[in-house]
Amino acid sequence: MKNIALGQYYPARSPLHRMDPRIKLIIAVLYIVAAFLCKNLLGFALLAASVVLLVILSRVPLKTVLGSLKMVVFILVLTVAINIFLTKEEGAEPLWSFWIFEVYTKGLYSALFIALRILSMIIGTCMLLTYTTTPIALTDALERLLSPLRHLKLPVHEFSMMMSIALRFIPTIMEEAEKIMAAQKARGAGFTEGNLIKRIKSLIPILIPLFASVFRRAFELATAMTCRCYRGGDGRTRMTTMRMHAMDIIVLIVSVAALAGIVSCNYWNIGYTL
Amino acid sequence: MSIKLELQNVTYYYGKGTAFEVKALDNVSFAVKERSITGLIGHTGSGKSTLAQLFNGLEKPTEGKVLLDGADIWDKKYKGGRLCFRVGLVMQYPEYQLFEETVFNDIAFGPRNKGMSEDEVKQLVMDAVSFVGMTPEILEQSPFDLSGGQKRRVAIAGIMAMQPEVLVLDEPAAGLDPAGRADIFAGIKRYRDTTGASVIIISHSMEDMAEYCDDVIVMHKGKVMLTGPKDSVFADSDKLVAAGLDIPQITRVMRLLKENGLDVDASVCTKDQAVAELIRAFKLK
Repeated sequence: MKNIALGQYYPARSPLHRMDPRIKLIIAVLYIVAAFLCKNLLGFALLAASVVLLVILSRVPLKTVLGSLKMVVFILVLTVAINIFLTKEEGAEPLWSFWIFEVYTKGLYSALFIALRILSMIIGTCMLLTYTTTPIALTDALERLLSPLRHLKLPVHEFSMMMSIALRFIPTIMEEAEKIMAAQKARGAGFTEGNLIKRIKSLIPILIPLFASVFRRAFELATAMTCRCYRGGDGRTRMTTMRMHAMDIIVLIVSVAALAGIVSCNYWNIGYTL
Repeated sequence: MSIKLELQNVTYYYGKGTAFEVKALDNVSFAVKERSITGLIGHTGSGKSTLAQLFNGLEKPTEGKVLLDGADIWDKKYKGGRLCFRVGLVMQYPEYQLFEETVFNDIAFGPRNKGMSEDEVKQLVMDAVSFVGMTPEILEQSPFDLSGGQKRRVAIAGIMAMQPEVLVLDEPAAGLDPAGRADIFAGIKRYRDTTGASVIIISHSMEDMAEYCDDVIVMHKGKVMLTGPKDSVFADSDKLVAAGLDIPQITRVMRLLKENGLDVDASVCTKDQAVAELIRAFKLK
């Protein structure tokens, strides 16, 4: 249970950790857009350079960064294989062929690009968000970025409060689940025997007490919040205020410039273009 | 009396080999006698709850042995059957593990997992309900409609219904009012007297230990500090006080009387003993 990686915040003191989470959120969105707009070698070179820069700036050990890629290795290998073997280039000689498989230059390039896209997207957003920003700061930033939607009568504060509470209680509920599992094992319950239906059935003794306890906790939390006069977002002030520093502005400008650079690379067609 | 459960030089680490390695138990050895009620006392973090999970094999000791009837439960050749049915463990706040639609089905969960026939299950459930001092009417109710104290008793009955030879209870009376506490302990005693099982009660309440236990084991910082019959342990009350542990109120009163010149035995720990001791002391005067 413990190896479920959720919120892999890596505590450290780095320029990326110090940045305003709102700016990080915006840059992460720009980043994903950039990764998809990239169409030629120079653009990808820019993208790869920014990934390296982010990793260095975050002061997260390389081992941890690479560890986070374990989950996507399968997807990566699959997409690369599909791109290599299934891309057909009209009128060109295959570089290599075997049975129904034919490999073209175009396929190799598109496989390379898609791999770079996935890798830079995952490492980039991990560096900007999960590793260097606490989940609470992230939902807080999201609330502030979305706060103009308040005027459209959308419950922005309530939405982000729900997110924060959900994130806050993940470890608590995992601990609770472990306790209940131990308790049911002590009553002779087995979770790993039998066929699929039997195994699903064997989860009932865990899930029902877990749901009961989640609801109990929810009611208790609601009561506790009411006791402290919580009544929603109107007129609430904050304990932490988010301030943009010169650094944040500079980084934002650099990122927008980089995005503009990538877009213009597409026009000038530098390097191999798809 | 012969020995039922024994720990030999048990050491236990949490997160062995990681940065978060914690030594929860350090070279712990003690024995639990057949048919006895043994109290396991200690501060929070003294390793009590870790011990509970070692008794029924939920956790494996990093070093050392756990012996049930003299057989090492982690030995490859161990043939004692599934341990959870022989050593019943009631975890802390067991009422949160109730899940069935009726109290009957919930108590029957353990015996059914043990593979008993429905007739046997019915008998075991009836027995368990009477151990914890409840009436059969409750069996058709939903466990979620009961009061906190009732839920606790149903959850304990769920373990008793497996008829374990050793019953381990982790803080069985935590958070209950005095009447609720008395009900729980009376139930545990009834179970021991009827089935002849050994009982281990984990608690930090010296009053409860003094009242209901035969033997006492005092844990301190992952080690066994004192062990033996409760009178001899509470006779060492200086040591308990030095370790920052509570002593039973009766023992405290008797210690004060002795300090102030009354010639009494300061090791007594129950009301009846204290009354007898005071009468004796005053008769001597």
